[in-house]
Amino acid sequence: MKDVSLPMVDRRTTLKWLASALVTAGAARAQIPGSAGTDTGTGLSLLGTPEPASGPGYGRDPDLLNPTVPWERTMTPRQLRVAAALCDMILPEDEVSPAATALGVHEFIDEWVSAPYPDQQRDREQIFDGLEWLERSSRERFAAGFADLTDDQRAGILDRIAFADRVESGLEDTAAFFHQYRNLALSAFYATEEGRADIGYIGNVPIIGEYPGPTPEALAHLKAALAGLGLQMPEVE
Amino acid sequence: MALSGNHEVVVVGSGAGGGMSAYLLTRAGIGVVLVEAGRDYDPFTETPMFNTSREAPLLGFRTPDKDFGFYNAGVGGGWEIPGEPYSTGEDSDFRWYRTRMLGGRTNHWGRNSFRMGPLDFKPRSRDGLGVDWPIGYEDLEPYYDRTEALIGVYGSNDGLTNSPDSGPGILHKPPRPRIAELMIKSVAESMGMPCVPMRRAVLTRPMDDRAACFYATACGRGCSIGAAFQSTTSLIPWAKATGRLEMLTDAMVYGVETDERGRASGINYIDKGSGEHRHIPARAVVLAASTGETARILLNSASGRHPDGLANASGQVGKNLMDTVGAGMAAQIPSLENRPRYNEDGAMGGHVYIPFWLYDEQDAGRLDFPRGYHYEVGGGFREPGYGIDYIPFIVDGYGRSLKEDARRYYGSVLRFAQRGEMIPNDGCYAEIDSGIKDRFGIPVLRFHYRHTEHEFRQVAHFQQTTLDLIDRLGGRLLTDVRPPQEAISAGGVIIHEVGTARMGDDPETSVTNGFGQAWEVGNLYLTDGSVFASKAHKNPTLTILALAWRSTENLIERMRRNEI
Repeated sequence: MKDVSLPMVDRRTTLKWLASALVTAGAARAQIPGSAGTDTGTGLSLLGTPEPASGPGYGRDPDLLNPTVPWERTMTPRQLRVAAALCDMILPEDEVSPAATALGVHEFIDEWVSAPYPDQQRDREQIFDGLEWLERSSRERFAAGFADLTDDQRAGILDRIAFADRVESGLEDTAAFFHQYRNLALSAFYATEEGRADIGYIGNVPIIGEYPGPTPEALAHLKAALAGLGLQMPEVE
Repeated sequence: MALSGNHEVVVVGSGAGGGMSAYLLTRAGIGVVLVEAGRDYDPFTETPMFNTSREAPLLGFRTPDKDFGFYNAGVGGGWEIPGEPYSTGEDSDFRWYRTRMLGGRTNHWGRNSFRMGPLDFKPRSRDGLGVDWPIGYEDLEPYYDRTEALIGVYGSNDGLTNSPDSGPGILHKPPRPRIAELMIKSVAESMGMPCVPMRRAVLTRPMDDRAACFYATACGRGCSIGAAFQSTTSLIPWAKATGRLEMLTDAMVYGVETDERGRASGINYIDKGSGEHRHIPARAVVLAASTGETARILLNSASGRHPDGLANASGQVGKNLMDTVGAGMAAQIPSLENRPRYNEDGAMGGHVYIPFWLYDEQDAGRLDFPRGYHYEVGGGFREPGYGIDYIPFIVDGYGRSLKEDARRYYGSVLRFAQRGEMIPNDGCYAEIDSGIKDRFGIPVLRFHYRHTEHEFRQVAHFQQTTLDLIDRLGGRLLTDVRPPQEAISAGGVIIHEVGTARMGDDPETSVTNGFGQAWEVGNLYLTDGSVFASKAHKNPTLTILALAWRSTENLIERMRRNEI
């Protein structure tokens, strides 16, 4: 079944991208029209000005067995430091798995915002603005950059935007940035080998013979869950 | 590539219909040239089995280069293909998915394989809407049996109304249901809805040189072991093995040529490498280019004798365009949190589904919509990738508690998709847009599309029913309940488009007879979804294959009797 959680890009956006990709296909590293560098809205950039994302993408017929990312990462070193600090605030080390940066999650964020595609170009603007906000807020409150704060100090900043029911008034856009950043960080983190082990994904291995189905423990859990809902456990083989 | 000249039939398109036609013709001793607009493709060496999402650019997330994600088998095609545009009429939202490769969409389809039932072939007789097919279920039943036995389908015989059983011994044993599927079965049955083993073209026992499913790697990537059916691991290699198949790839067919007697004399194509226009003569032509391309070829084959397009005296070519009614909802189920882990990849696609269950209520006039829909359902411990099963949209905050929440919520989301029947209407058709040509100079299609109250009411019924299911499970809805007019998938998005050259009993109102033979051109057969007279809620590929078998057999008989 097709995924219902991810709405399609509308046709106009795709056609616009296609038109620009055709234009830039002959000129490697040409800027995608409509993509901007950092624009904080204040005209001031604390984290530097990144190179524009360059096209084209991986094309319509890439080597699927040996995937490569053809575009350059574009975040500035200062942006990347803030991005890394944010990744580790979202996903710190615990007893089960390492911190996000140990698994390269911040580098994935850079790969994402540097991709020459419409979804990523939209995220790029939002994420660069969000990182800039973190840096500005840190300097205003603690006279130091976000990456140089203690965890408690960083929490003091993040608590203004990170919880759905207590977003500071006027920071709704920044909260939306955090939401998408957290989505990307979670996605990249749990896609790693360590992340899979943490969350308990144990598929992607060949099974010879019949698919065994749920374990007795899994069935017992379901039976209890259904009983709690007043529902019958179906018969199983 | 130089052709030997030993062929008799040209088959256009190498997906389900074209693959089946080429297989049967060559096996019957008839030489075939199979023409494909996309490139050659070898799933045995090109399929990314076991590659993880983290290895792929952007975690494999879809881009305009790869609409279904990096690893999807579909290459070269998509919703939008550079240099191969299409247009849409005012207020029409129609998306045209094209797969440009040997094997076409069979390389990445969902493998869901439902038989149309007796009611599906005679819809007008049942409710007065649309048209009846010129054939009945009894005509196609033996071909369903043969097709299923050939391609391999898992499922079970459940004796349900209008969801026919298969012949004895044909179906492969369905894989055991997973936890989410057992939960859905439980709640569905509590509401009087059947929930039975899914039917999918995936082998669970080995057949010929194809292996049984080993329960890993999404079927949309293609299947290098041949367990998930695609024409490139079965029909086409088998046709090749006869020594009577010649293949032309990267060959864009734009016209069927006719002789002075009005019979098809061959096809014209553009060699994409050289840009040259070429002709292949043929004793008979089979079009299976997909419902859109087949209609386009016929309409672009207009001549003095056929001013409105070939085989179009009825004016029905391009008309009656239909796609499946689609909508989807998802919910998080608290009682599935923190459940014990095990490998839930299974056959990747569904192991169970909910067939339409309200035929009696509908016939008694107790429903406000005609025709049926089924549910495709699922949920579970999927491979983590972009959006990791809604977790980012369930959790809050950050830090150590976030990691605990991710573990808790993983595998606790259920998804429900509606797949319903659409009634053909006058507002849904494709025509030639004479103002636009593709990069080969071929005039493109303009699509017109609109749904009607029939479809909207059906979506509303699905939404209400799904809310009831979720409510009984104590679930938390994760998707908005939008008005049906917005919740329904745009035309073409489900990629079940059919109907643009429908079969019928009457040359005045149909393009082909019940064997897919064009009324006007006796040596022209259509074996793709274009011939569908209605669009049952059942996914069309199995029926395309069965119809292609029946029609191609008819072509072979007529050739043997020298009627062609």
